[in-house]
Amino acid sequence: MIDKSQKPLIEIKNLVKKFGNFTALNGVSLDVYPGEVHALLGDNGAGKSTLIKVLSGVHPATSGNILVGGKEVNFLTPRQATDSGIGTVYQDLALNALTSVTRNFFLGREIKKGPGPFGIMQMKEMNRITIEEMAKIGINISNPEQPVGTMSGGQRQTLAIARAIYFGAKILILDEPTSALGQKQQMEVLKTIKDVQKLGHIAIILITHNEIHARLIADRYTFLSLGEVIGSGLAEELGGDDIKRLMAGGAEIGDLRDELGA
Amino acid sequence: MKATETSPQRQESDRQGDKKWYSAFFARPEIGPLGVMILLCGMLGYFSIPEGEFSLNPFAGEGFNALGIRNNFRVIAQLGIVALGAGMLIIAGEFDLSVGSMIGFAGGCMAMILKWGFAFVIPYISFQGGFHFEGLKLFEITDPSPLTALLITLCFTLSFGWFQGWLIVKSGIASFIVTLGGLFFLRGVTEVSYREFNRAPDQTAGSTTVTELPDIKNIINIPGHGEIERDTAKNLPNEQLLEILSTVPANTITKLTEQLTYINEKVAANKTILASKKMIQTLEKSLEGAKKSGNDSMVEILTEKINAGVEVPAVAAKVVTDIDIAKAYIDTIVTARPVANFFGGDILEPVFEWLYFSADWNVNMYGNIFAKGMYSCLMVWFIIALVCYFVLSRTQAGNWIYSTGGNLNAAKANGVPTNKVKISLFMFTAFCATMFAACQVFEVNTADTAKGNLKELEAIAAAVIGGVVLTGGFGTILGIILGTIIFGIAKEAFFYIPGIDGSFYRVFLGAVLVAAALTNENIRKRIIGGV
Repeated sequence: MIDKSQKPLIEIKNLVKKFGNFTALNGVSLDVYPGEVHALLGDNGAGKSTLIKVLSGVHPATSGNILVGGKEVNFLTPRQATDSGIGTVYQDLALNALTSVTRNFFLGREIKKGPGPFGIMQMKEMNRITIEEMAKIGINISNPEQPVGTMSGGQRQTLAIARAIYFGAKILILDEPTSALGQKQQMEVLKTIKDVQKLGHIAIILITHNEIHARLIADRYTFLSLGEVIGSGLAEELGGDDIKRLMAGGAEIGDLRDELGA
Repeated sequence: MKATETSPQRQESDRQGDKKWYSAFFARPEIGPLGVMILLCGMLGYFSIPEGEFSLNPFAGEGFNALGIRNNFRVIAQLGIVALGAGMLIIAGEFDLSVGSMIGFAGGCMAMILKWGFAFVIPYISFQGGFHFEGLKLFEITDPSPLTALLITLCFTLSFGWFQGWLIVKSGIASFIVTLGGLFFLRGVTEVSYREFNRAPDQTAGSTTVTELPDIKNIINIPGHGEIERDTAKNLPNEQLLEILSTVPANTITKLTEQLTYINEKVAANKTILASKKMIQTLEKSLEGAKKSGNDSMVEILTEKINAGVEVPAVAAKVVTDIDIAKAYIDTIVTARPVANFFGGDILEPVFEWLYFSADWNVNMYGNIFAKGMYSCLMVWFIIALVCYFVLSRTQAGNWIYSTGGNLNAAKANGVPTNKVKISLFMFTAFCATMFAACQVFEVNTADTAKGNLKELEAIAAAVIGGVVLTGGFGTILGIILGTIIFGIAKEAFFYIPGIDGSFYRVFLGAVLVAAALTNENIRKRIIGGV
């Protein structure tokens, strides 16, 4: 799946982030290639959220380098991160359930004719693009004018992903996309991620708690614990027990089993 | 054991029941208000049919005669102007309680500027001749035009709207509290200003009204007389009126003569009818008296007379004089103050003239023209509503307003300038309040502090009845318009119900308001609870 002849789309080298005295990230390095799903795993407090926030421009890094397409970047605002091709899909998805699919797809970036915010929205064109872009990653919506509230959680996730890709995201960061969903919808979302992977030019960073989901679609893993990388490797190199152990921050699940058994 | 399975091809969409042809219609949020509005219009129509008369046509009632329509739509349009501002703001998730006080403030501001002019004064402390305040006059406008007064007032109200919005988005304090402060503050400032500017020379506190403004919208330009009020012009000495008439082209005079002749004949005919009605009434009274006293022969004679009908001599139509024509001509002269006329004048006059002269409908019981047109505030309401509809449903700004109210964080995350959206809408409610005030001031040529009292709550109620949800993100302009019509017409409709206290309209509106809020919330939950 990974084409190592290509350059990685994003490289993170020795990233350090300190909040005052507290070291949230202590020299994290990872890279993601186009068409790759890179699973970022770790327990609560491992530094996953901080890493996303640094990558999406919410917090500036204390030290270390981020290279996007080989060029060094330094984000001060979320806008700068979006402009250089990093699209983050947060858990709350940033959707307005009361308005239509199209209005959400183009929220804040409406296609319009006319002066300033009083330009007329080109609804027909926007509807067409919405249907096309959603179909590209595997969801056919019949009516783009339906309120987002009538869509399933999986479809909403797809909408948010399609939106990020359409507006130029080459590096897609998915923050626990399968949490808070039913079984079937989780599968829907995983299929969507698979479809995005097939597009071939997008690097995906998948943050998850769910080891089963990670094993279904990830090409590579990086495990975080207490702000440091404690292990990484290709999917085929890692066994199920390794993943379980590393996810728990290196503690032996077996020990826990013994403890519980005792 | 084999688990039972049924049709694996079942899709999520299969769980939705079949949609009937009418279901799209009933899913619209405006459907409830539309029903209530039709009910109220029917009530107003049928209950206002005069006693003893019968008609299946609701438009035969007094509620829908020309004057009734003119007056009802004035109440509706005035409320409608502020309801649009309030409704748009609620859709964006905030609300403004200072609207009513803003109306009082704007009206007072405009009237005072029109009466006394406007000066920009910087106060400073002076020690010459003892400690006291003095004012440094930067500039002064002594004889402001209606437009100048309106623009200066807009500067004040829009800045105040901006300030409220800015305070709310920057501090995060609930708009309820900030605008409640605005409600007290503006009403107080208005009262203080009225008393201060009206202060009599003997230093007693002044009244809280501004009166004796000229009838600005009716100032016209007559060659040889300059700018003059219409009524003053009509009361000029006869020789001067004739002089004015001599400048009028012949075909205009012919047309005016025809119209005046028609009016005079109509008045005469109605006088004849009234006279015969009066005669019959007198006869019927005597008949009753005769019946009571048991005078059988008298009863017979009177019954015969009534059945035969009464003949009254036809009232002769008044002859049209040149003075009448001159006065009628002065009525047709176009105003020299278009801005004042835009807000306070009448519209659709040609339509109402056609209804009188050609359709024979717009006639009062004396045969004169009943309503000369609709109040101009109807047009102001219509224009603002059209702009609001366009902005909310078609433009980028509309999408921003919906998303700001629907999910503030989502809007922010997608780069919508939510603070600007909110501040602009606070300014828009202030703008609407100013338009309301302009319509009132230029129409009645007076202003007082009590103007606009409680209008903020009525505007919110009208918007909610029209399907706007108070938590934001949900509602339409059409709904707000329907809600306003319901609110405006309820009072009239209940007034005409025989044997019922007129205040029952408040009972009715209260119930409708709560019912509407429940329905709106239900629709909203149905939309967002789809997971």
